[in-house]
Amino acid sequence: MLTVEKLKEYGADVEKGLSRCANNESLYLRLVKICIQEISADALGAALKEGDLDRAFEVAHKWKGGVNNLALDPIAAPVCELTELLRSKTPGDYEILHGDILKETAVIASLMN
Amino acid sequence: MTDNKSKFRISEERRRILLVEDDIINQEMIRESVSGTYDLIVAETGEEALTIISERYETLSIVLLDLNLPGIKGIEVLKIIRSVPAYSRLPVIVMTSDSEAEVECLSLGAIDFIPKPYPASKVILARILRTVELFENRDILRFTERDHLTGLYNKEFFYRYAEQLDLYHKDAPTDAIVFDIIRFRTINDRFGKTHGDEILKNIARKALDIVNEAGGIVCRSYADKFMIYCPHRADYGVILNALSVPLGDGENHVRLRMGVYSDVDKTLDIERRFDRAKMASDSVRDNLASPIGIYDNSMREAEMLADRLINDFSAAIRDKQFVVFYQPKFNVRGDEPVLSSAEALVRWKHPKLGMVISPGTFIPLFEKNGLIQELDRYVWSETAAQISDWKKRLNVSIPVSVNVSRIDLYDPNLTDRLLGIVKANGLSVEELLLEITESAYTENSEHIVEKVEKLRKLGFKIEMDDFGSGYSSLSMLSYMPIDALKLDMQFIRSAFGERIDTRLLEAMIRLADSFGVPTIAEGVETAEQVSVLKRMGCDIIQGYYFSRPLPADEFDKFIKFKQPVFV
Repeated sequence: MLTVEKLKEYGADVEKGLSRCANNESLYLRLVKICIQEISADALGAALKEGDLDRAFEVAHKWKGGVNNLALDPIAAPVCELTELLRSKTPGDYEILHGDILKETAVIASLMN
Repeated sequence: MTDNKSKFRISEERRRILLVEDDIINQEMIRESVSGTYDLIVAETGEEALTIISERYETLSIVLLDLNLPGIKGIEVLKIIRSVPAYSRLPVIVMTSDSEAEVECLSLGAIDFIPKPYPASKVILARILRTVELFENRDILRFTERDHLTGLYNKEFFYRYAEQLDLYHKDAPTDAIVFDIIRFRTINDRFGKTHGDEILKNIARKALDIVNEAGGIVCRSYADKFMIYCPHRADYGVILNALSVPLGDGENHVRLRMGVYSDVDKTLDIERRFDRAKMASDSVRDNLASPIGIYDNSMREAEMLADRLINDFSAAIRDKQFVVFYQPKFNVRGDEPVLSSAEALVRWKHPKLGMVISPGTFIPLFEKNGLIQELDRYVWSETAAQISDWKKRLNVSIPVSVNVSRIDLYDPNLTDRLLGIVKANGLSVEELLLEITESAYTENSEHIVEKVEKLRKLGFKIEMDDFGSGYSSLSMLSYMPIDALKLDMQFIRSAFGERIDTRLLEAMIRLADSFGVPTIAEGVETAEQVSVLKRMGCDIIQGYYFSRPLPADEFDKFIKFKQPVFV
């Protein structure tokens, strides 16, 4: 079961995340689950596979909003980096960052069990 | 019932926030932040947001707008909100992680920013509360300073803004102008209040155009009254014409009346300046041909004198400062004129102003404010006492006519009052003649005729005063209960003016005669006038030719010297 302690241990800035949820723990945890489920669905991977960088940017931007607001810092770092690359369409190895994101997602998902 | 009542109070209604945000996490965070204070409506797209705004903008307190939306982007939504005047009171807070968008959003009319990632919930709530409060206060201020119907300033704010203008334009010559619609009530009656309101709005627009072009400010002070404070100009007629909007019948324009206090004295407070403009407007109250009054100091002096006379009135009655003078009336039907009666004329022996106050000044003033009733009663008593005194001392009965004002005729105790005075002085009712002006007959004539009939039945003799000055027709004579007809002094003067034309005068005397009503000519000054009037069949003559109005003691002497000519 996901707890704030587990998230703290993982490296999330839980105090900050909670302060954005009016210190409502259950809401915070519910939103983390929603966020992780969404990333796990991996719409970004599908867009990258199709070479649709605009769509990939939209998805990454949305993820960025979620992870930043929830202060999931370890996952926020690759999400932000990838979003900025996609925003400027800077050529690069998007897949590495995409992979980092999925790895972090899997870590958090494992905290839920 | 109590619940319904409290629900119906504005203060009990929860303010509503429209959150335009497509991300569920952001939606839930904002919901948690504000739900204790506000109701939250969520739109996930720009299109959805605009639909909600168009339907509910009047009850929304604020819009929280994400810039990165699917479909119409947040910036476009903001532009649309700011371009529709009806939405102008709706504050928009933009939520974005893009700090570069701030300047553009502020220039487009966003009121504040909430950055992403969000600050703490309490910070978000505090920013929203502050913005809502600010906007509500601004709305209240706008409602307070504006007249709801026309959108012009109201009087209080107009005065304050006029004072502000003075601070910046101390030495600039400035005009205070008031204007109103002549007989606006009848416009409302004829065309309905909605149309009346449209006329007021049209006039307001025109007035605003004028001050926008030439400088100045305008307000609707109340009802159909407007005020303008503007740089001095001379073309008041042009302004008046520009403001005279169509009436709505397809033919006519509204008639306006204007008062101007030109090049105002800025040492006076602002209200006094507009009082003067109002005085100027009052001076043209009944003048449709020349509806613009320009203030001059004589108006203020007249008003100050009027105030003083009203204030001094009670003491004047108490201290018997009002003195009754008597002007004789002569019967000219025989070879020699015979003193038949007199008219009581009041003078004011003011302790400070002396006898300089003309009855032509104070009588219309007291007629206007109702004090005339008390003055009339005073004159009736003084006159009755004088008739009684002459009877006792000189053994002669001289009937004296007294004025009965229009307002007296509405006094339910009038007959008892007059009978009481007559009885208290040991007189018969025929000795106190009653003069009622022609204009009193024409207003509510049925009531007046009834009242006069009652007085006549009691034996009082009624003289219709100032005949020819009003709008009555000669046919009135056939049903008006009167015992004598007094021809208006002005009427006599014009008949014997530079171009002598007495035809109308003669016709009136003959007509009165045919109804068996004797005529009295007043204001007669020359032997020639006496001779002509006598030849025409006029019965009684009063005027300087025989005597000016005399104080009672002088009239005493007059009686003694002229005794042989009395009947």
